[in-house]
Amino acid sequence: MHRITRRNLLGIMAGTAGLALMSACGGSQPAAKPAETKPAEAAKPTAAPAAPAAQPAATSAPAAAAKPTEAAKPAAQAPATVAATGSQVKVTLWSSFTGVNGDAQTAMVDRFNQSQKDVVVENQFQGSYEETGQKLTAALQAKQAPDISILSDVWWFKFYLNKAIIPLDDLLKANNVDKADYVDAFVNEGTRKGQLMWLPFARSTPLFYYNKDAWKDAGLPDRGPETYMELAEWGPKLTKADGSRYGLAHSGAGGYIEWSFQSVVWGWGGQYSDDNFQVKIAEKPAVDAGEWLRKSVVDGWAKSPQNADNDFRGGIASAMIASTGGLPGHEAAAKFPVGTAFLPKGPVAFGCPTGGAGLGILASVPKEKQEAAFKYAAFATSPEQTAIWAQATGYMPVRKSAIEGAAMKDFYAKKPNFQTAGKQLAMVRGQDVARVFVPNGQQILLKGLDRITVNKEASETVMKDIAGQLQKECDTVKKQVQAIEG
Amino acid sequence: MAQVVGTPGPSRLQREWREWLLFVALAGPNVLMFIIFNYRPLLYNAYLSFHSWDFLSPVVIPVGLDNYVDVLTDPHFHRVVQNTVILMVGGVCLTIVIGMALALLLNQKLAGRDAARSVMFAPYMLSGAAIAVVWVYIFDPTYGLLRTVISPLGLIPPNWLRDQFWAMPAVIIVYTWKNLGYTMVICLAGLQAIPKELYEAATTDGANAWHRFRHVTIPGLAPITFFLLVTGILASFQTFDLIHVLTRGGPVDATSTLVYYLYEQGFIAFKAGNAGVAAVLQFIVLFIITLIQIRYLERRVTYAA
Amino acid sequence: MAAVEQVGSAGLAGRRAPVHGVVSRVVGYATMIVVVFLIGLPLLWLVSAAFKETSEIYVVPASWIPHNPILSNFPNAWNAAPFGRYYVNTIFVTVVSVIGKLIMASTTAYALVALRFPFKTFVFALILGALMIPAQVVVVPNYLLFADLGLINTFPALIIPHIPTAVGTFLMRQAFLALPREILDAARVDGAGHLRTLWTIMLPLSLPVLVTFGLLATQDVWNDFLWPLIITNTENMRTLPIGISRLLDQEGNTQWGVVMAGAIYVIAPLLIVFIWAQRHIVEGIAAGAVKG
Repeated sequence: MHRITRRNLLGIMAGTAGLALMSACGGSQPAAKPAETKPAEAAKPTAAPAAPAAQPAATSAPAAAAKPTEAAKPAAQAPATVAATGSQVKVTLWSSFTGVNGDAQTAMVDRFNQSQKDVVVENQFQGSYEETGQKLTAALQAKQAPDISILSDVWWFKFYLNKAIIPLDDLLKANNVDKADYVDAFVNEGTRKGQLMWLPFARSTPLFYYNKDAWKDAGLPDRGPETYMELAEWGPKLTKADGSRYGLAHSGAGGYIEWSFQSVVWGWGGQYSDDNFQVKIAEKPAVDAGEWLRKSVVDGWAKSPQNADNDFRGGIASAMIASTGGLPGHEAAAKFPVGTAFLPKGPVAFGCPTGGAGLGILASVPKEKQEAAFKYAAFATSPEQTAIWAQATGYMPVRKSAIEGAAMKDFYAKKPNFQTAGKQLAMVRGQDVARVFVPNGQQILLKGLDRITVNKEASETVMKDIAGQLQKECDTVKKQVQAIEG
Repeated sequence: MAQVVGTPGPSRLQREWREWLLFVALAGPNVLMFIIFNYRPLLYNAYLSFHSWDFLSPVVIPVGLDNYVDVLTDPHFHRVVQNTVILMVGGVCLTIVIGMALALLLNQKLAGRDAARSVMFAPYMLSGAAIAVVWVYIFDPTYGLLRTVISPLGLIPPNWLRDQFWAMPAVIIVYTWKNLGYTMVICLAGLQAIPKELYEAATTDGANAWHRFRHVTIPGLAPITFFLLVTGILASFQTFDLIHVLTRGGPVDATSTLVYYLYEQGFIAFKAGNAGVAAVLQFIVLFIITLIQIRYLERRVTYAA
Repeated sequence: MAAVEQVGSAGLAGRRAPVHGVVSRVVGYATMIVVVFLIGLPLLWLVSAAFKETSEIYVVPASWIPHNPILSNFPNAWNAAPFGRYYVNTIFVTVVSVIGKLIMASTTAYALVALRFPFKTFVFALILGALMIPAQVVVVPNYLLFADLGLINTFPALIIPHIPTAVGTFLMRQAFLALPREILDAARVDGAGHLRTLWTIMLPLSLPVLVTFGLLATQDVWNDFLWPLIITNTENMRTLPIGISRLLDQEGNTQWGVVMAGAIYVIAPLLIVFIWAQRHIVEGIAAGAVKG
């Protein structure tokens, strides 16, 4: 009868409520008291099956011959090490590549898995660089982190500061990897206190793209401008009065203008910040660079559109400064011959920043996994593989021997635009810390540059504003750096 | 088990207790899940709002009200609040007014009505990335569709999405376009639920079309309108995807709303404290607004037949 | 009152008393055409973009009918990510979640309307309060919760957070409140218990609203991106919206035609469900198929 039915229902509800409440209490919280190492673990009533020994410290986990405990659920605690040698080690890789690049990443992992039997890598796509970084942050809190992950230029340092990734020098030596063969600028950027933390993998630089038809139409020589000043002279020639074409497209919303603008600032002899986290963007050279930027928009030959790629491919913008990573797409989609050139110089110097992503190996996984993961990393950045990768995507090879090698030479001969990027690589410089080591740095810089290119505010005012904000953030990061580096 | 009339019923206390149990059985799971999946995170964020943390470090430092002071005195935050209000007012008004008009229009027996309804509802079902692709195109100052319409009138279209002043109107336009389907469909459902007899009774009483509209339709729609108003305001505060794909909260901060600010602080700047402040403030503000609406508006809006 | 007996035919598809005159209908048609045009034009462009090469998409002047129509965007999109699997997952998650939501909405709304208990307004406000908490606030804590339960990358994790509903509760509450009080009283006099009243009387009378909510809930769960992204790790558990993000490229290689084809894959089932629901359920009511 109804009464009994309702009582049963009630019982079920009560039971469910009880269970739910228990699990609600078991959620992990951050340690409330300052702790030197790991956050204190809250009681986990339902995560029992994972062996407590599976929570390893970075270096103290036994290398082999650990208890062969298996996590009961596939995605629970980091599994304990597998005992017997000769059995396969499974490695989880988190990556951020889509489309053609995604296919190349899958192919790379497949080639690695087929090339040997000791390690099997599972590639898991986790979204864009940003999304991957955000997921990794959450995963570390939840102790669900992978073994190795793609980390972009603005993300890896945060994990370094929190000791979430391991130094790679020992692994490089143990695997006989020639560290000196890696492109110096790439290695230097990822090195802290003499230790390499971030292995270059999918690196890019900005490139000067131009529309050869528009160039011809405006009577310009078939080359990129030597300097930003020359670009300012050519810009008006390319700009049509009816608005159907303009000279240069600055990267707009979500387009990383603050990345390529480093080239302009360095060209004027300035920088966003020095290596000691002192913000320099309010000093004269950077301010002058900002004025160049502002004038480009005020004089009408440059714009900051919503999407620079679309404007360029559609022939609306005659030129743009954008990542080498987009080169295959632009060549394929544009209906005109695409020209590429080095970034222009400033009045003082030439400056080309690096970009893209590298690999980091997580500290929270057992040593055996780290070693296995490194085997993949070494493979993916080996001369043969990096050459294959560079040809399939728009990224740059990360090994000097690959750049000099026959495969790339052939490729460059067939694809002159890619060669431009390759040649520029010799002149790259590591990025300013205000952009890459400060979590909020990118946003502050981007908004500041938007004020200049969209609102046309005076460079001096804007730079002073963002210098204040940046310095505050830099100081916070500097303290964290000093805490772990001394 | 129902009581047959005439038998002495349970005592009043028993009845109340039973009603309470019934409530727990019927509404309990819903409420409980909200507590677990929505309120627990909110409380967690409230806790974080009094601390300084970057989501990774093992150190979580209590800072009292510092985060609140920082956020509330930040001029960027003032702009954020302003934007949120503008989006709310513009978005809610337009979607309700136009959506209701569309529902009334499409409630008549017109040929092709079903197809028309589907067209109007389709934008609501589209994902953010797809919407961005077309609207970036529409708003483009050089080749966009809007330019084609505006320039014959001799006007120069602004660079909508990259203009300090026009970016927010652009977002409101897209927001309206997307959400019209929602309000329309709900109004339609409301219209269809008005008992036919009420109209017939009014006609037999001598009412003409306008009177029927005024005295049957409008009161009949009142509960639905109240619903749309309350949920519309709440939804406008949660709008994130549109802003993220169209403008990223820019240019500068022209289209940053409270939820976007929360995202930036929590997911980009990794300032758990500030994100917590934003979450708490948003909740309090919305709670007050909704409470006021329930208290004062609903009484005037609900009718018992 | 006489109205009570004929209550079964309530909810007819808005048949008011006959509209007066041709003028009204002409105005109706004209407005309909204008509005469909305004709202539908961007959609038309979207669909045509799926048949274009990337280079033809952002051109001056806008091309409505592709000059070189291609079909390859569709297989390209399908192959760029495991869309077949995405479909299976999305359908499963959506169906289960929506059924859960419908049940929650109906029972909770009924409780709020028909029962008397203390703190009723507070409970209602509490439920509404859930709408004041944005997704960005809840995803990470819920992720941590499910991690502790060992349910990362599983269906329960995808489904359970979707089941509670505030909009549905609110909507059904409004629908129930709009029903004439006599009906409930008559039911009580007839001796119907709560659940029977809900199931045999109130829900059928509010069917248009329930179906509408079902459609909205379907759209909501189907298009959810943030939660599935964070709670799933592997492609075999992912849903359709994530498929779209697989077609975007952060270096500038995105082929917009392929993205549009992908978007069509995602929206097509929703559109079909919407049209079907409008036609069969709404018109079923209009035909008087539901009796009180």
